[in-house]
Amino acid sequence: MFDEKTLTESREAEARWRAAFDRLGARMESNGCPSETQSGLPIKNAYFPHDIEHLEFNQIGTPGSYPFTRGNLAAQYQFMSWANQPVIGYGLPEHTRERMDYLAAQGMVGYFGRPFYNLVYDLVSHEGLDPDHQGARGRIGQCGMAVYSVRDMERLFSGLDLRKINVVHITYYQVIPALAQYIAYAERLGIQPGELRGNSMNWYHQSAYVGMTAFPPDQALKLAVELISFCTKHMPRWNTTNFFCYGIEEAGGTAVEEIGLMLAFGKELVRACVAAGLKPDDFLPRFGFQIAQANDFFEEVAKIRAMRRIWATTMHETFGASDPRSLQVRIHTHTSGAVLTAQQPLVNLIRTTLHAFGAALAGTQAMEVSSYDEALAIPTAEAATLALRVQQVIQEETNVQAVSDPLAGSYYVEALTDQIAKAALAVVEKVEAQGGYVAAQHKGWIRREVERSAARWRGMVNSGERRIVGQNCYVREEGPEPEIFEISPDVEQIAIERIRELRATRDSARFERAMRDFEVVAKSFAQREVSELGDDNLMLAAIEAARADATTGEMMSVLKSALTWGPPH
Amino acid sequence: MERRIRVLLAKPTQDCHDRGVRYLMRMLRDNGFEVIFTNFLVAEEILSSALQEDVDVIGISSSSGGHMPVFEDLLAGMRKQGLDDVLLVGGGIIPPRDIRALKEWGVAEVFRPGSSAEDLIEFILKNVRGAGVDAVTADKSEMSS
Repeated sequence: MFDEKTLTESREAEARWRAAFDRLGARMESNGCPSETQSGLPIKNAYFPHDIEHLEFNQIGTPGSYPFTRGNLAAQYQFMSWANQPVIGYGLPEHTRERMDYLAAQGMVGYFGRPFYNLVYDLVSHEGLDPDHQGARGRIGQCGMAVYSVRDMERLFSGLDLRKINVVHITYYQVIPALAQYIAYAERLGIQPGELRGNSMNWYHQSAYVGMTAFPPDQALKLAVELISFCTKHMPRWNTTNFFCYGIEEAGGTAVEEIGLMLAFGKELVRACVAAGLKPDDFLPRFGFQIAQANDFFEEVAKIRAMRRIWATTMHETFGASDPRSLQVRIHTHTSGAVLTAQQPLVNLIRTTLHAFGAALAGTQAMEVSSYDEALAIPTAEAATLALRVQQVIQEETNVQAVSDPLAGSYYVEALTDQIAKAALAVVEKVEAQGGYVAAQHKGWIRREVERSAARWRGMVNSGERRIVGQNCYVREEGPEPEIFEISPDVEQIAIERIRELRATRDSARFERAMRDFEVVAKSFAQREVSELGDDNLMLAAIEAARADATTGEMMSVLKSALTWGPPH
Repeated sequence: MERRIRVLLAKPTQDCHDRGVRYLMRMLRDNGFEVIFTNFLVAEEILSSALQEDVDVIGISSSSGGHMPVFEDLLAGMRKQGLDDVLLVGGGIIPPRDIRALKEWGVAEVFRPGSSAEDLIEFILKNVRGAGVDAVTADKSEMSS
């Protein structure tokens, strides 16, 4: 990108700078600033043109053009700001609805002004249980909403026009039952699946690095393909799969591992979808990514730019995808929860503001900003409002949306983007050498790598090498206990009564028939190879079960027994 | 031969925030403890592991709420099964007012954010059954790996 004369001058400039730096260094003690990123990549103390001389201009490129390092769109935020996507969900469906309406009234808005709801299911649903199960005690409506059936969906969405809203369903492995119920609910309103907009997470891949119980990895991969296959044919506006990059960094993985492992999973999933008869350009445009934005400011920005580049080049070069939408990494930023502290909790507002600002500079599409009390409990309404205000201040007051990819051309940011891209591709190679993501998961390799990074980080915090304000420096006596959000104590009883009423009043003949079919289909699904998928029988049977008012727990119990269920690898 | 202190670390299945407890597992092992790590849906599952493995300590990690019924069931079960001398500790996202109640119920200690692995280790060594007796020890020389 630079001519010889510039490069010569650049090297001479660095030599002069280095001499001045060393003169100071000889007289002064370092202030302990690490000379590497959080991921352990070496960084220099100043960058020069020759630090990016190995880069081709088109590796950086132009906003909206391949390889999309600089963002997906030619106009990044100039016509459409990023979507506000705070995670919402607690208590009964109507409690969650109250928070949805409240935040919408506070200005929470999606793409082109459309309402956007990012809804999380509760712990009971995540485990694939119903609220009357013994193991549900204490967990109903905790960390998510108590929604287990089509009737609960009615309570949640009543009065909203499903054609006009986007709904993200944050589920774990109950993703197929939850989508089936949403489809069945829409049908009751006369709305076809093809008219629905939103996301399923399809997060089976997270069992490689987080969580306690799951389907076996090979069965899980087939379940992911099943949902993609169905939606590709019947729900063209539905986003089928969310790459849970965020979970890797939250579990302790580095920025490099976060994007490297998810690209490795991307390759596995694309191969599986192709084996099931799908064409990359038909399903890739509906993949999305949830990416963490944590403390190492520039590394986290560069990580996003690197991910866009290596995803686009891999999908194009390895799988022959050519539709630009197949090559773009559509990002939902989730500011890191793991780096927030229970000590001096208001300080978290400062952290999340920096995270959100970084994500804005990196060019994200949607954002959840963690609430400052996240390390204490479910956010209060006030904390959730402040988290939304963080986004709104950046959107309305800073003018950072005026320019696409404003950090492009920074010698440091470009050099770091390239460093991360290469390091992440090395992670991909390690996974591929083991036979791919599922094989690496079977071996426990992915979890071991992530755990090792988590231990390394904790070691650095313990030794003071990485500082955390309020935790290993600037510690003070904690003040009075902050206000903590609590779900209403009668949630549990009401949820149980509702599920009993549902069982007593649904059409039992229709229910029995649908569940029998679902069971037969699930058993046959368990025996099939990925290449034998594509008839969407499991999804269709799940939808029929949902129409017959089957609950999440009932459907999951069929899947667990057919596919087996247990501790993750 | 000395018997190492056995710790059962457990987390409710639905609670995916397992980074902390996995770190503790590693630290306890590095410090000479024998660690069994498991997840559970209902308290009985922990109790049967605790009995089978003859553990000295049960540590429950909870970061998603719903911890009160878990401890309630566990304590009742421990009493019933004669596991009263097993040290029961908790940790994670547990609000101070719950901690007060839990301690009244008989939970030995609850470690909040900001606690270190060393705090836990020190607490176990001081409070485990037979503490101070030679037969119960975390002996680093016996570390197998």
